[in-house]
Amino acid sequence: MTGIVDAVGVSKWYGEVLGLNAFTASFGRGITGLVGPNGAGKSTLFKLLIGQLHADQGGVRLLGENPWNNVALMRRLGYCPEHNQMYGWLTGQQFVETLLRLDGMSSADARKAATEALKVVGLSAAAQRLTRTYSRGMRQRTKLAQALAHKPEVLILDEPLSGADPMARVKILRTISEFAEAGGHVLMSTHVLYEIERITNNIVLIHNGKAIASGDIHAIRALIDTHPHAVRLDTPRPRQLAQALARMDHVVSFEFPSAEELLVRTRKPDAFYRELPGIVADTKLEVRGIESPDDSLDAVFRYLVG
Amino acid sequence: MDLVESLRKAWVVTGLTLRYLMGTRRGIAIAVLAAVPLLLTVGLALARVDSFGIQLFQILLIPLFFQLVLIFVALVNASTLIRDEIEDNTLPYLLTRPISKPALIFYKYVAYLASALVLLVPPIVLAYGVTELHTGSPFSADLDVLWGFLLTTILGSAAYGAVFLFVSVLVRRPLFVGLFLGFLWESIVGQIPGDVRKLSVIHYLKSILKDTISVTPLSIYSTDVSAAISVVVLVGFSIAMVVLSILVFQQMEFKSKA
Repeated sequence: MTGIVDAVGVSKWYGEVLGLNAFTASFGRGITGLVGPNGAGKSTLFKLLIGQLHADQGGVRLLGENPWNNVALMRRLGYCPEHNQMYGWLTGQQFVETLLRLDGMSSADARKAATEALKVVGLSAAAQRLTRTYSRGMRQRTKLAQALAHKPEVLILDEPLSGADPMARVKILRTISEFAEAGGHVLMSTHVLYEIERITNNIVLIHNGKAIASGDIHAIRALIDTHPHAVRLDTPRPRQLAQALARMDHVVSFEFPSAEELLVRTRKPDAFYRELPGIVADTKLEVRGIESPDDSLDAVFRYLVG
Repeated sequence: MDLVESLRKAWVVTGLTLRYLMGTRRGIAIAVLAAVPLLLTVGLALARVDSFGIQLFQILLIPLFFQLVLIFVALVNASTLIRDEIEDNTLPYLLTRPISKPALIFYKYVAYLASALVLLVPPIVLAYGVTELHTGSPFSADLDVLWGFLLTTILGSAAYGAVFLFVSVLVRRPLFVGLFLGFLWESIVGQIPGDVRKLSVIHYLKSILKDTISVTPLSIYSTDVSAAISVVVLVGFSIAMVVLSILVFQQMEFKSKA
């Protein structure tokens, strides 16, 4: 196999827990989505690809090389971790700049590249603020900025949309698309199929540490559409937002898990994600974050694997 | 070009680490602890204690500084170098850059050493100065004491920092192991006569002080190790611990914290 990523019979155990189970897949050029519920093995695969874990069986290759303790390969890689922690005592500008200087850039070059990357992700105005004051969406965009600022060949993005607000999602997806259009390769994990669908048709489905399907996204769409999809919105006015969203005929139900949360179930998640930014903008209701509990996807996976 | 790039990376990692060690609220708390010797001598001088002089300075500060303050500063600062990056999930940002794990450990250790010396040396020099001022002696009157304290501060910081760094890459809760090694092991083993005490860092620090200070309460301290040998042992021990830390770190795997 000669893909951007080649994984052959990769198994990884955490004690008695199996993270990856003879995972075999080849990821091609452009954008590939790694889709699976939480605990499926997405982050384990990514950690193998960035050299933070090594396989107990089998092997992975990134850009044709073994990533374990491969310092030179890191120059060709941009990585956006799943978690949102950063050096909170640095500003966004300092954070990106510092990491760029670890690529060997001079201070002046790093400053220029960091400024440019933060502009690309729409964070110029907040660049001088401490990152500990950032919202989750801003953190996601900062992580993306540090990952692409040194112009890597491949971006590995672990749940880059998790918790991001609607505007941040649009910005992040646009940035990823532009990176790929410029010739870069992207591996992006998500447990929300409809997010990845907006930027690529090429996906690998992962469940219980195994690649259970890969290829065109449309083949499994019909299956997934039969399962109502849950979306959790973080908003200070959940009831007013529910009223506004009730005009969507594909919305099945609303729940209010807490005073500042709204859980929506929809039969047409793609339409929901497409229409939501417009409704939020029209009604001027604040939506601080969006998350999709993976129970709907999990149901589909259980169906797929029998 | 490679050298310039390496120096840039060293500068960035040490700067980032120093800023974390000294620029946060925890760093300020450690600085206050490191200032205890100075506060004590100032207190003695203000209280006009008759017996306060260079002898009492040594009697008080050898246990207080070398067996409490220095160990505590080394423990807190060295054990956080890598462990906090792991616990805070910030390590992936560094490890997905073209910097080797050995270089990362080494640069962080250099930053630790710089932070320890910045925290520990000024209070000792000032405490010495206050003592000489109180007794009406010129600053240079007991320079052997000052040099002895400075040499042992540097070597003690290096040795304790290296061992606590090693502990921090080995175990998830380095503070508990560090407290045991720093305070229990060093105190107990350091008191046992014979060759067993050679397994403690404090033995070599005391041997250096005994050998380099002409009039010292440590003149009755039993040791057959000269200052020169002690320096070699402590430097060699520090290097060995840093190398071991590098070897362990290079084979470590990193799973994210939830």
